[in-house]
Amino acid sequence: MNSSEPKQQWLIRLQSFWQTFSKNRIGLVGLAMLALLILMAIFAPLIAPYTSSSSAEFQVGDIYNPPSASHWFGTDDAGQDIFSNFVFGARISLIVGFFAAFISIIIGGVLGLVAGFLGGRWENLLMRFTDTMLVIPDLPLMVVIIALTKPSLLNIIFVIGLLGWTTTARVVRSQTLAVKSRKFVLRARAVGAGNAHIISRHILPLVMPILVVQAVLVVSLAILNESALSFLGLGDPTVLSWGQMLNYAFGRGAMSIGAWWALFFPGFGIVWVVLGLTLLGQGLEQVLNPRLDTHHLMPGRPTVRKDRVEAQTKFTKETVLEVQNLSINYINEGKPPARAVENVSFTLNAGELIGLVGESGCGKTTLMLSLLRLLPSAGQIVDGRVFFNGEDLTTISDEELNKIRWKEISIVFQGAMNALNPVRTVGDQIAEAITRHMPDFPKDKIQARVIELLDLVGIAADHREHFPHQYSGGMRQRAMIAMALACNPQVIIADEPTTALDVMIQAQILELLDSLRKKLGLAIIFVTHDLGVVAEICDKVLVMYGGVTAEYAEVDTIYNEPRHPYTQELIKAFPDLTKPKKKLTSIPGYPPRLDNLPVGCRFAPRCPAVFARCQTEQPILHNLGNSHIASCHLVEASK
Amino acid sequence: MNRTRALLKKIAWSAFTVLFVIILNFFLFRILPGDPARAGIRDPRLKKEAVEMLRVRFGLDKPVINCFESLNPIKVGSCAVNPLDTQFFIYTRNLFQGELGISYHTNRPVADILAERLWNTVLLIGAGQILSIIIGVVFGIFAAWKARTSVDYSAVIASLLVWSLPTFWLAILLLFWGSNNGLPLAGKSTPGSSSLPLIQQWVDIARHMLLPTLTYTIVYMGEYTLIMRSSLMDVLSEDYILTAKAKGLSTFQILKDHALKNAMLPLVTVIAINLGFTVAGAIQIEAVFSWPGLGGAIVEALGRRDFPVLQGAFLLIAVTVIFANLLADLTYSYLDPRVKVD
Amino acid sequence: MSKDAFLEVNGLKKYFDATGRPGLFSRDTRHVHAVDGVDFTLRHSEVLALVGESGCGKSTLALLLMGLEKPTAGTIHFEGRDITHISEHERKDVRRKIQMIFQDPYESLNPTQSIEEIVNEPLMVHGLGADKKERDERVKKAMEDSGLKPADVYLNRFPHELSGGQRQRVVIAAALVLEPEILLADEPVSMLDVSIRAEIINLLAELRISRQIAVIFITHDLGSVGFFADRVAVMYLGRIVEIGTMLDVLEKPRHPYTKALISVIPVPNPRLRHERIILQGETPNPIDLPTGCRFHPRCPVAIATCKASDPPFVILSKTHKAACLLLVK
Repeated sequence: MNSSEPKQQWLIRLQSFWQTFSKNRIGLVGLAMLALLILMAIFAPLIAPYTSSSSAEFQVGDIYNPPSASHWFGTDDAGQDIFSNFVFGARISLIVGFFAAFISIIIGGVLGLVAGFLGGRWENLLMRFTDTMLVIPDLPLMVVIIALTKPSLLNIIFVIGLLGWTTTARVVRSQTLAVKSRKFVLRARAVGAGNAHIISRHILPLVMPILVVQAVLVVSLAILNESALSFLGLGDPTVLSWGQMLNYAFGRGAMSIGAWWALFFPGFGIVWVVLGLTLLGQGLEQVLNPRLDTHHLMPGRPTVRKDRVEAQTKFTKETVLEVQNLSINYINEGKPPARAVENVSFTLNAGELIGLVGESGCGKTTLMLSLLRLLPSAGQIVDGRVFFNGEDLTTISDEELNKIRWKEISIVFQGAMNALNPVRTVGDQIAEAITRHMPDFPKDKIQARVIELLDLVGIAADHREHFPHQYSGGMRQRAMIAMALACNPQVIIADEPTTALDVMIQAQILELLDSLRKKLGLAIIFVTHDLGVVAEICDKVLVMYGGVTAEYAEVDTIYNEPRHPYTQELIKAFPDLTKPKKKLTSIPGYPPRLDNLPVGCRFAPRCPAVFARCQTEQPILHNLGNSHIASCHLVEASK
Repeated sequence: MNRTRALLKKIAWSAFTVLFVIILNFFLFRILPGDPARAGIRDPRLKKEAVEMLRVRFGLDKPVINCFESLNPIKVGSCAVNPLDTQFFIYTRNLFQGELGISYHTNRPVADILAERLWNTVLLIGAGQILSIIIGVVFGIFAAWKARTSVDYSAVIASLLVWSLPTFWLAILLLFWGSNNGLPLAGKSTPGSSSLPLIQQWVDIARHMLLPTLTYTIVYMGEYTLIMRSSLMDVLSEDYILTAKAKGLSTFQILKDHALKNAMLPLVTVIAINLGFTVAGAIQIEAVFSWPGLGGAIVEALGRRDFPVLQGAFLLIAVTVIFANLLADLTYSYLDPRVKVD
Repeated sequence: MSKDAFLEVNGLKKYFDATGRPGLFSRDTRHVHAVDGVDFTLRHSEVLALVGESGCGKSTLALLLMGLEKPTAGTIHFEGRDITHISEHERKDVRRKIQMIFQDPYESLNPTQSIEEIVNEPLMVHGLGADKKERDERVKKAMEDSGLKPADVYLNRFPHELSGGQRQRVVIAAALVLEPEILLADEPVSMLDVSIRAEIINLLAELRISRQIAVIFITHDLGSVGFFADRVAVMYLGRIVEIGTMLDVLEKPRHPYTKALISVIPVPNPRLRHERIILQGETPNPIDLPTGCRFHPRCPVAIATCKASDPPFVILSKTHKAACLLLVK
């Protein structure tokens, strides 16, 4: 039994949705509140102690009696039981809300979909129309229309429905546009799919979640609008909605008599429904369109340490940065932590360029961020030290660290698209680095320095007045390098600076970094997954796999005498145009999940030289002399 | 040069929208069954001279547009006959001369009635919006900065709760509380206060304004808090914030120099879109507190079936909102350097 | 038109209005000359690598070949038939035979569709497969031929559960299910880790043999295509500047741009660090084309005449030609 029926697939999807949704507390509370009210409305005749018919007839008590045993919510200006009216009133509010919202959603959904999908003139026309209707204030228009026609329930439903679609149209249109330009839609077109197919199979499924959240919002707005209209005296006089109840109470002296119950309870009903819907909407939004709930300014976690004794590397007077046995975890609520980096060590001397190589997810970026304590809030340094000029960066205070950040060690981030603030000029952001760390730098010389830095990386002086989006990808990367040099640091960390750039631009950036290093005596840590780049410019190489050091040696050793099977396989997988006969190999399988690591050697599942011990015991870091370290059981035997 | 073109385009569209509203307004009142002009002519409250004046002034015996039949079937015009001799043209001409009709109830020009009231509404909405924006921004910043702490959760829940309150109900509750605590119950000033010295007049107005403004602020601050919070959280998770942190800037410096400006831009858009909806709030608040503004004018006109006032108030409100929207739109494009010319 | 030619492209041009709409005028400074006169042929089961950096027009060329954009000028012949301006209805048959693989395996799949639905979709669009059983079989075969074995394990999974390499295989399976004769691969491995690239390239090599599929491999990195290609065409600013067999181009490059590109291909051996020809600046905007030879502003060996005249193709051998004035003897 291979492929499932469409019906079963729906069921599977619904089940998985419910699984996620049921964990969302806000959404559940909202759903419960709403469900309670709907049940109350449905079973109104059974719940209400006095059946209410039309207004004037049924007087069951004195007017404006406070709440009592026989009248839980008191009585109103006509002597009717407020609780019974309340329970029946729920029906009106819900009916108007849902039906009016239904009309709005249909109109808004269709309009937005058509506008977004067709584009061009149609989109222009429809969106102009939508924007015009959006600007015209809703309630006054509703008031005018209903005042001029008849305040019947049907009328009210139509008027609210016909005016409530504007936000939905906008939202649906932008989502349709977004989906339309995605690659899988292009692929469908390339196969020959027609518009109907693309809309039904690709656009609708991705617009639906947005529409559902929007629908909940529209229902709540419709209910609020109906109650406002009723309160203003435009409600249907033949039915008693909550707004209508408040209209009568307010207009017939409940205030002066002090009959707070006549004013409180109907409004409370409205709040209950709308709040329930709002919470439900929030919950749905969080489940269907999840957004990040962490950001870079959330407090980090303190460094902890457990002392470990491992292989020691060489340590000379020229050492600028020494990382010893660094281990970093990512804390996951209710789950075991992800051991992103475990026991990694390396040394960086002045003027040296070390390459940090590994596949995506091997922990190299985590390692880099940790050096300056820039880890996201879930990250924590759990062991090891980072020595910079004698100070341990993992434990110094934040103020001390802020003095070292950028001034002594700076970073060039990957994919500089958003690494620079888009609403400030590039020159401004470079100048900021200068003024932050060198407050004595003469103010009138700052611009000259900015120009000098840009010149160093080959960018013309007038570009400093431009914004990042006006720079090309390669230029942005070079601007970031200029900014990183602003305070004459000792170390630059370059995190995948050439990924996603064309080969020629890559070559330019590499040449630039290399020449800067030689000219200024910089030490550079170059993070990449590209072995070829590493071979071009690095002095030393640290190969990481699954968060641990696989191999660490001088570049020549890594390429010509690799000892770790991962390094060997990696080199074999790299195309070499100087060896035409070489067959390209790849490493089968994929890297381990850092929160579900195998027992024993992390590379064992993919290693061609694996044997029994590899699967039970993690190899230690073996020192092979001449600063060459490899973590493999095979190495031990031949030491 | 491109910026000027975009500017002109925006202004042109606003003008078009105003025209649309004028046309809409006209047709609503002349075409819908509860047709006031027809009713007005027969309204027993109007004196005979007033009826004649209306007839002439507003051309109520003329065709609506040449292709429609006239309302008082004295003459039926055909499309070919003088197009300027129509109710619509007369209406528009009157409009541009500041003529909005005569109130059925008071026989005063609508324009005069509304002119007084316009500023009262602007005062109320202005004060309320400014306060709710300030509070919303401040709470939103704290909520985002201290994300996922109790500060954040309580701000979000409180905002959601406040957003769910019907404006008029909150007004009623506050009025109830206020009346038991010595605050004035209605209006903008105590009768007879115009003879008091200026300072005391202002204090009097402030006391009357307290509850309505408070209602307004509470109702809208929740929404602004939520928008500011989510906008700031988006901004704070961008790469350039990490760059700023790596540069050694303090949290305060990062918020001030990098985050806030970017986070406030979406808020400007929301405030603009919201303007239409805030009028709805104003109407309800003015109704409950008997505040003498445009919203109050609408409510009173509703009760008295005073259609000229209703029509005039709607038009005035719509035009004001359109204008305010245009201002907000222009402010946004001025602030954001990424805005590309359309 | 040669007998052997399976796919033949002649004088293909695509200009966009500077604001993005298609235009008609040549060398008009207000137009983006995305593709500006491209000729090449493709034989059955041949692998042609189309190499160039961003802005050279290679992606636009792919869209033209797929019929997703209409050419401004020029013709495309497929199996002897002129398909340049055929109607969408007529094109459906062509679409079955020419399939495309995109660069981004994360974006190429609809996250709400299961793998089975994704691979089945092309069959549905073309109404192929007599009944469900036959469609299922074709889907499974395509998946297994793409290396997703056993197919059953993957059928009900969703894209977010798969790795980058696996997703790319799904894309290939969805292309294979229609039994195409040409595969257009637009940077199919650029977004994958180096250790996985070989898998995909080896897969394509295998498919070329087992299914007799021709492949047009578009990339900016000549190194990644390795020796998989039979022929290589190097593009710059909308034109092909050099074309020849793989060995011709790799071992005897003649156009200065090709020489520069090859010199910057990384060599994984530090002992073989060599002089690299690194061009300065970036590819100019295809709106403002340089006069004469398009490459002259960045060319390390440009001479005076390069500024004035557009170089013609110089035939270097039966299989090899390049457009450079310095080659004209």
